Amino acid sequence: MAEPSAPPILEVDGLHSGYGDVPVLKGLDFAVDSEVFAILGANGAGKTTLLATLARLLPVTDGSIRLGGKDVTAHPASETARLGIGYVPQEAAIFPDLTVFENLSIGGMIGERPLEQGLEEVFETFPDLRDKVGLRAGDLSGGESRMVACGRALMQDPSVLLLDEPTAGLSPLYVELFFQKIAEIHSGRGVTIVLTEQNATLALGVADRVMVLSLGLGSEVMTAADVTTDRLKEAYKL
Amino acid sequence: MSLDWLDAFLVSGTFGVVEIVGLGLLLHLQVGLTRIANFGVVGFWGLGLYTFGVLYVQVDWPFGEPWQFLFSALAASLAAALAGLVVAWLIADLDSDGALVGTLGFSAIVLILATTQDQLTGGALGLGGLGFPYDLGTTKANELLWLALMTALVGLILGYVWWVHRTPYGRLLIAIGSNEPLARSMGKHTTGAKLTLFAITCGLMGLLGAMHGVMVRFLDIGSLDVGITLAALAGLILGGTARVWGAVIGVLLTVGLFDIVIQFYVPLPQEWFTQAIPVLREAVFGALLVVVLLFRPQGLLGQMRRSKLIRAMHDG
Ligand SMILES: Nc1ncnc2c1ncn2[C@@H]1O[C@H](COP(=O)(O)OP(=O)(O)OP(=O)(O)O)[C@@H](O)[C@H]1O
Ligand SMILES: [Mg+2]
Repeated sequence: MAEPSAPPILEVDGLHSGYGDVPVLKGLDFAVDSEVFAILGANGAGKTTLLATLARLLPVTDGSIRLGGKDVTAHPASETARLGIGYVPQEAAIFPDLTVFENLSIGGMIGERPLEQGLEEVFETFPDLRDKVGLRAGDLSGGESRMVACGRALMQDPSVLLLDEPTAGLSPLYVELFFQKIAEIHSGRGVTIVLTEQNATLALGVADRVMVLSLGLGSEVMTAADVTTDRLKEAYKL
Repeated sequence: MSLDWLDAFLVSGTFGVVEIVGLGLLLHLQVGLTRIANFGVVGFWGLGLYTFGVLYVQVDWPFGEPWQFLFSALAASLAAALAGLVVAWLIADLDSDGALVGTLGFSAIVLILATTQDQLTGGALGLGGLGFPYDLGTTKANELLWLALMTALVGLILGYVWWVHRTPYGRLLIAIGSNEPLARSMGKHTTGAKLTLFAITCGLMGLLGAMHGVMVRFLDIGSLDVGITLAALAGLILGGTARVWGAVIGVLLTVGLFDIVIQFYVPLPQEWFTQAIPVLREAVFGALLVVVLLFRPQGLLGQMRRSKLIRAMHDG
């Protein structure tokens, strides 16, 4: 028997999903290994729908999702975190009525890792949060609340981190810093990152590979280094 | 011991205030923490009251007090808890408008059942025959002890609310209240947590109803109108929905003002108390609700729990 190669960390096959009667994803296939994987696409392309489906918050109408070879298509949202998925939605990614500390610790209730260790790691990645632990998360600035959202997901000790437009609405300086952090999270902790992004240039700066979503279908997956303007245009179906 | 110095109406008035403090505290867990809009407080309380009264009076109990009271009250709490569980399950995925209609509808059903099942409940005529599970000799003494027991129960409820605020369970409830999909995506069984909370708190509302039945010793469908819901909500909202003491302070300032201070200490013509004051009371509570919801959705004393926590963290 031939040695089976390790299954991809995340594998999506013929994925269909949407909202009630509105189909949005119409047959997506891709696989993600230990890498930073960026999903590009115009407004309304279905990026948020895809990540929410991967986080099991939207029903899969057809196709399958596998994590490390294990079929998780039928698993409810309440199990994804335990399966190793951390999800940072595009909007409403924190609990505004809880303090920063409470936001982080509620993420830390998953898994066996001691809370202090998780917190220390989050503060290493986002030192700015250290002084803000006592603040109500709803009173933070946009950038700070993105950090809290990201930190909260990291507290779950995920193997895959789903980030929906992690830098939308942030100032250019913050954007750069944030993508640096994302790269660090991948290289330092070995967390696989799947992120969505509108800005192709930014995404290509951080990602190993990219895919373009358009009209509910995915383009071929491209290695970031090989992407050219023409290939992008074709993928966007321009 | 002579209790002549004590006004009997003051005892029952205080009992009413303490009872609504209890309801306000439970409502705080439902509305303030978990953001389940419950406009049917009277339904759960009334189900407890009527289940208790009907069992106590209509069942031929083979044993005496206090077992007759304890079993009836336990059954009343369980009935209200079960109703809470079913209602919570029905409204679990609805927005607050849906929850509002669902809980209000439930309280209307309780009223209809109490009115139509008159062989059991006495219907519009009411049902007598309830009594204290003990006898100290005089009604006033019995009522005074019952007030003490009610105060102890509400004290326990306050302790429970205080405890919930300090546990991961309480944080989960706040998380659900402020962003349920996110909590779910983090592996939390949000529906289970909501159902459990609603069942426990509605069960306790039913227990308060049973306690009420003993104090008034008479089932009256008039008590199933919107009044008690309005009083608990007005108090909670005035005091601030987000903090432990909100309901206590708010109810004292609203119900306490009308039912104790004005009733006993403001010299007004007698006919005012039977006509103008009750109407004014409902109108003020209703207006308070509208004004606060429009301008201060967090309640007047709003985010006290939060800011206090923040201060505590900065000081410590
Ligand atoms: N709750 C919903 N109900 C019905 N349709 C929805 C819902 N949310 C999104 N859609 C539709 O699904 C499609 C994809 O939306 P989605 O939010 O996934 O796009 P996106 O790529 O994330 O866009 P953006 O870059 O603006 O965030 C859109 O056409 C949108 O109208
Ligand atoms: Mg989106």
